[in-house]
Amino acid sequence: MKKRFKTSLVVLTAGWIGLLSIASCKDLLNTTSEISISSTSIFETPARISGLVNGVYKSLKNSSLYSGGLLHCNDLRGEEFICLTENSLGGGYAWQQNLSSTTDIVNSIWAQSYQVINNSNILIAGLSQSQGVISDSINKNYIGEARFLRALAYFTLVTTYARPYAENNGASKGVPLRLKPESTSANNDLATSEVKAIYSQIINDLDTAEIFLPEKYSTALLNTTRAHKSTAIALKTRVYLSKNDFVNVRKEAQKIVAQNQAPFSATSGILHKLQDNIAVVFSSDYTTVESIFSIPMTASDPPSGTALVTVYNSAPNYALNNISGILSNTEWKSTDARRTFVRTQSGLYYLTKYAKVSPAIDYIPVIRYAEVLLNYAEAEARGGDINKAIALLQAVRHRSDASYTFSPTSLTQSEIVNTIRIERRIELLGEGFRATDLLRDLLTFPNKPSRSSYISRVVSPTDNGYVYPLPTSEILTNKLLLN
Amino acid sequence: MFSRYRLAILPLLFFPTAIFAQQNHISGLILDKKTNEPLTGATILLVDTKTGTTSDQKGNFTLSVKSLPAKLLISFLGYKPYELKIFEYSKSLNIYLTEEGNNLNEVVVVGYGTQNKREFTGSIASVKGDDIKDAPIQSFEQALQGKSAGVSISLPTGVLNAPPVVRIRGINSISLSSYPLVVVDGIPVFTGNISSTHASNNPLSDINPSDIESIDILKDAASTAIYGSRASAGVILITTKQGKLGHITTSYDAWIGISNAVRIPEVLNAQQYTDIKNEAIANRNAIAGRTDPNAFALSYHPDGSVVDTKWRDYIYRTAVSHNHTTSISGGTDKVNYYFSANYSNQEGFLIGNELTRKSLRFNLDNKVTSWLKIGGGGNYSVNSNKSFDTGSMPGESMTTTGLTRLALVLPPNVSPYNADGSFNVNPSSNGTLGKGNNTANIPLYNPVSLFALTSNNSENSHFNGNFYVAIKPVKQLELKSTYAVDRLNQEDYTYGSPDLGSDSYSTQGSATNISYLRQNESWSNTIRFDSNIGNNHNLSFLVGSDLEKITLSSWGAKATIASDNFFKYYQGGWGSITAIGNGLGERDFLSIFSRISYNYKNKYYLTGNLRRDGNSALAVGSKYGNFGGISGGWLLSEESFFLKSALKDKFSNVKLTASWGRVGNGTLSNDYSSYNLYSASLYGSAATWGITQQGNPNLSWETSDQTNFGLSFSTLKNRLNVGITYFNNDVNNLIMNTPQSPSKGIPNNTILANVGSLYNRGVELSLDSKIVESDNFSWDVSYNFTYLKNIVTALAGGNDIIGATGSGNTNITRVGASIGSLYGLKTLYVNPDNGQRVFLNAAGEKVQYNGISTWTYLDGRTAAALTGTDYYVLGNTLPKWSGGLNSNLKYKRFELGLNFTYAGGNYVMNRTRSTLTDQIFFNSSTAILSRWTTAGQLTDIPRLVNGDRISFGGSVPISDQVEKGDFLRLQNVTLAYNLPNKLLNSAGISAVRVYGQINNAWLFTKYTGVDPEVSANGNSNTSPGVEYNTAGLGRTWTLGINVKF
Repeated sequence: MKKRFKTSLVVLTAGWIGLLSIASCKDLLNTTSEISISSTSIFETPARISGLVNGVYKSLKNSSLYSGGLLHCNDLRGEEFICLTENSLGGGYAWQQNLSSTTDIVNSIWAQSYQVINNSNILIAGLSQSQGVISDSINKNYIGEARFLRALAYFTLVTTYARPYAENNGASKGVPLRLKPESTSANNDLATSEVKAIYSQIINDLDTAEIFLPEKYSTALLNTTRAHKSTAIALKTRVYLSKNDFVNVRKEAQKIVAQNQAPFSATSGILHKLQDNIAVVFSSDYTTVESIFSIPMTASDPPSGTALVTVYNSAPNYALNNISGILSNTEWKSTDARRTFVRTQSGLYYLTKYAKVSPAIDYIPVIRYAEVLLNYAEAEARGGDINKAIALLQAVRHRSDASYTFSPTSLTQSEIVNTIRIERRIELLGEGFRATDLLRDLLTFPNKPSRSSYISRVVSPTDNGYVYPLPTSEILTNKLLLN
Repeated sequence: MFSRYRLAILPLLFFPTAIFAQQNHISGLILDKKTNEPLTGATILLVDTKTGTTSDQKGNFTLSVKSLPAKLLISFLGYKPYELKIFEYSKSLNIYLTEEGNNLNEVVVVGYGTQNKREFTGSIASVKGDDIKDAPIQSFEQALQGKSAGVSISLPTGVLNAPPVVRIRGINSISLSSYPLVVVDGIPVFTGNISSTHASNNPLSDINPSDIESIDILKDAASTAIYGSRASAGVILITTKQGKLGHITTSYDAWIGISNAVRIPEVLNAQQYTDIKNEAIANRNAIAGRTDPNAFALSYHPDGSVVDTKWRDYIYRTAVSHNHTTSISGGTDKVNYYFSANYSNQEGFLIGNELTRKSLRFNLDNKVTSWLKIGGGGNYSVNSNKSFDTGSMPGESMTTTGLTRLALVLPPNVSPYNADGSFNVNPSSNGTLGKGNNTANIPLYNPVSLFALTSNNSENSHFNGNFYVAIKPVKQLELKSTYAVDRLNQEDYTYGSPDLGSDSYSTQGSATNISYLRQNESWSNTIRFDSNIGNNHNLSFLVGSDLEKITLSSWGAKATIASDNFFKYYQGGWGSITAIGNGLGERDFLSIFSRISYNYKNKYYLTGNLRRDGNSALAVGSKYGNFGGISGGWLLSEESFFLKSALKDKFSNVKLTASWGRVGNGTLSNDYSSYNLYSASLYGSAATWGITQQGNPNLSWETSDQTNFGLSFSTLKNRLNVGITYFNNDVNNLIMNTPQSPSKGIPNNTILANVGSLYNRGVELSLDSKIVESDNFSWDVSYNFTYLKNIVTALAGGNDIIGATGSGNTNITRVGASIGSLYGLKTLYVNPDNGQRVFLNAAGEKVQYNGISTWTYLDGRTAAALTGTDYYVLGNTLPKWSGGLNSNLKYKRFELGLNFTYAGGNYVMNRTRSTLTDQIFFNSSTAILSRWTTAGQLTDIPRLVNGDRISFGGSVPISDQVEKGDFLRLQNVTLAYNLPNKLLNSAGISAVRVYGQINNAWLFTKYTGVDPEVSANGNSNTSPGVEYNTAGLGRTWTLGINVKF
């Protein structure tokens, strides 16, 4: 008995100690995710690199930016909408002109724009040390896209958070300029660059993008949803217009508005032109040559956050301002096809440019050919050929209201500039242009009526709330921001 | 201890048979004085002749006594010896034994084993299962309130199965969980709210509280160190019931209860509402020079009567709950077993809130041979949680469907139903509540239509089991291998009808199913060695390894666009389906551990614990950490100098303990926290990769260095036991989301890093006294008190951490202050001249707000608008002192138990008051009737101005809503009656106890909100102490019965 126990004692103890040592030696702890990829292998295959490129666009599609947030906040600051509700948090603060550094959208538009920038920077840095996974031409193409997207994000930031360029030729404080990828806790502190410097970086990026980007892709879908040469050019017309550099607006516009008279279409690359019926662009064919750049929506990738169709149409928090908004402008005739984007219900008028619900798969326009024509028209009107300006303006107006005739006596330079402004309000209604159009010319944000306890106010260029305040989240973490 | 004792009584077992035939004998019944239950195996000794017997399974004994008077000594482990003299032969002696309080021989459960209290030198709190089994609760930890010093438990809301906030010696982390590790029969189990729906689901409720034998709460690092890296918030060890030797017992326990919500604020009626809201518009017109018309108007029923809806009557109810447990347990010297079945159906006081649990447990131990023991057990339970959006779970304070908010704010001048009986909903605002004759749309939903058209359900199918083999090759050595598994299959269902009135109307209906499979497997092997060297040196030694694998796999889908409103389930006909709730992760722990206990002459004790822990979630190179603790004890009262001194007569069981240990916390919510991760998504229909997590290659443990000094003694002839403990927890390397400049574009603008530190220091006092102790009457009182000081000493870059409730920043964690302090604008008073609220700006100047965006100094000069930079720290949220008082009175067959809890020294932000005075369409509390209306009026309610979200705290927290949180609560009062045994024995029943109890019977507090203990943010470390549209705690009346066969 005793011997058996002693033997078993030795055997068992040895066995146990063996178990202990197996348990402690074998390294079971290097588990890795099965549903995410680590940064070490993300540039390994062409498909993953292509995924990264699409990923930068995806970050632009965030709820704060082109899923709708940026657009409706820009439009609601203007006078085109009245507020119907009291629980419309993000847009509600913009509508009330009551944005503070702690307001959600003030923080989220900033943060998300910089995510687009960092994602672009990661891509540019990764592609600049190409290991031959993809061909050089595709590599160039991708870098061009990254630089286009970075430019668009910086343009969003500088026109939202910095004083307008026109105020002092870009001498104001801009935003921090970050051109390298960030991946550690270092470099939190970075001072702002001047508005001027931000603009020249944007233009530098877009000039490079114009060179690197292909003229066109293989499908209409890609042509609309991925940047190509004329996308960069079109954005440049917007950027130059924003700094009142009319010479360059005209120079860039001429590249894609090559014809000298209607229909003013492009003549090389993708043959961008206005569609005959504007309704097509917003309802049945999102990838016509008029849609230079749009954010695609599908049932499996619908808008994140609140879709524009919800905000304006299906469960509207805002109705069109029929008292002092563009809707009440008598020059916007009932014969105008763009009036079909308005529906009425119980005495209120709603914008129906975005109409698809569940899922909200209307593409969100970022750059349309109509805008380029109007940018071009304004540049000609303010610094060039007034007749060309009128012709471009008419092209946009007559597409939707063929019977309309501009009164010849009113077409002086200042009148034509005004008429173009009105045309922009009609043509680009609900596409996120109103705030930046007022800001770039140092115009005052007018007041507007309300149907709820929210009230708005007049905001002149001298008002503290004229542009977005810098966000708290950046102020707290970036000690050089306010220097 | 057990075996030595049993050996001693063995000869006695055989003795009685020899003398049974003789005439003169006495017989009787041995009973537990407290529970009135029979005691099996008690020794009855005839002192003169040294002969004796033991009581049988029903507590009966018979003993031959040759001559009278005779002296009997009755003894039983864990009970006080009882001596009595018998002068007559009798057949119906009822002898009651009293449990020994604070007995140093009492066994406590520690990590991977047990120790007796004498040799235990750390800090522990033990609660017996019997003390909680009758409470009308969902999960056991809810019943631990006020029971032990240093263990703070509060219910954040009265919603069913909302996990209690459990804090052992304060908040011990900032970003990671401060919830203790809960170990059930050797395996760590899942805790917290695991539901993805509005129905709260605390998996601890899958354990039937009646199945619990004991709850041992390890408080200091020297005790918890054997759990190493997960022990910094303390460890709760649950031991489930085992059968007892020779004692086959069948029991039935049941209770039925009703509960109601209490302290719901009074709101305005329709006429008052309409007038007050229009007054605010008129005031705005007067201030701003506007001419806005009245926007609020009464509605009328078809019969011409005014619509005056009391919304709370549509939302709250009297809830009925009942609970039944049957158990069978028993054992021989070879096998013991415990089996139980439970059915519980509990209703919450909010309509639609319901929990159902069905569970089975079986525990079995078999001593196969003298050297081999095999055993195990398992619990299977099916648990269903149903609820609408109560608005009381974290993140729900401001939802448009949150019932507690709807009950307060919906306009009383709007009817829930139309004249034709249909729901009153508004087609032009996605089917929210109809606006009646008011002008603006109401963005909140009609609760009546939500009840009919939506549902949330979270269901568990949960198995927890273990199997062990223990081998004792020689007496001193035990080898044990245990496999345990906790497998939790959870299904969440959310449904919204496509019909108007449902919050899924805009998506034409929706049905979401998410399935979660959580599994925790552990395999631990231990070697245990106990030895006496000579008689003076006692050594026990434990070494072991533990391998644990925790996996989560979840997947689900959301269907929208119902093809017909008939379909209520995902499996029906739907137009669009998207993936939702996908997750896949694995976390492994690999550990070796050891404990050495040594004592010299049973006077000097020393215990050391060591654990080397590996955690897969940490960075490569930082996965392993070493944790350990050392503790010592000195049983002063055993020293000869003590025994010779006069102190001996006054004090006994005097014990001094001291301990130090280091434990960790690596309970990262993400299994792959150290990596830079890219995740896939879609851009339209193109595949994308995007960075979603910026990792930190140096991520390591949080460490907590804990020191503990204790003194315990008994006095007044052992009638009073006193324990005093000082503790100091220094927590360092706190893992925190270190804020990155958003301009760096890093995902979520954070990177996890080991930065920051804090400490918790405090004193615990516990008093247990037996005030009266006699055969017919006894009165025990126990009292505990904890003083706690929490200070944050370092944070990432010194930056504050802001905590939010709803959309407002309400809390701040700042170096030098207590974690999660309240934060907001400082308000002073309402200016009697103009009715404007006066604030203090950051510069310390008085400024006032006119209700529509104009700020002025009191002399009328324009002042800058107050912003987030003008916020002040408004008070600590963690109670500085807390504790409980338990009193048990027993007179003959009656028992009266009282359980008080108390806490204070903290502040609570009553954000619900901002809801109840908000200057939008919300209904208001009747307090608003004392608003400022005329110059010179002194009031604390400013002039009403429509749209003013600041003066009343609508969009910013203000100090006016910060109130003291001191309270005293009569948590439980129980009155019980034990039926006479004679009555029962003929029916084969050994004991019946009936009782009635009231839970949350009475609350004394100056706090004006619904309850000072509720929290809108549940278990959050950084935003505690905020009530925001949160449901209070119900009052429950229960009737119950315990039957033993």
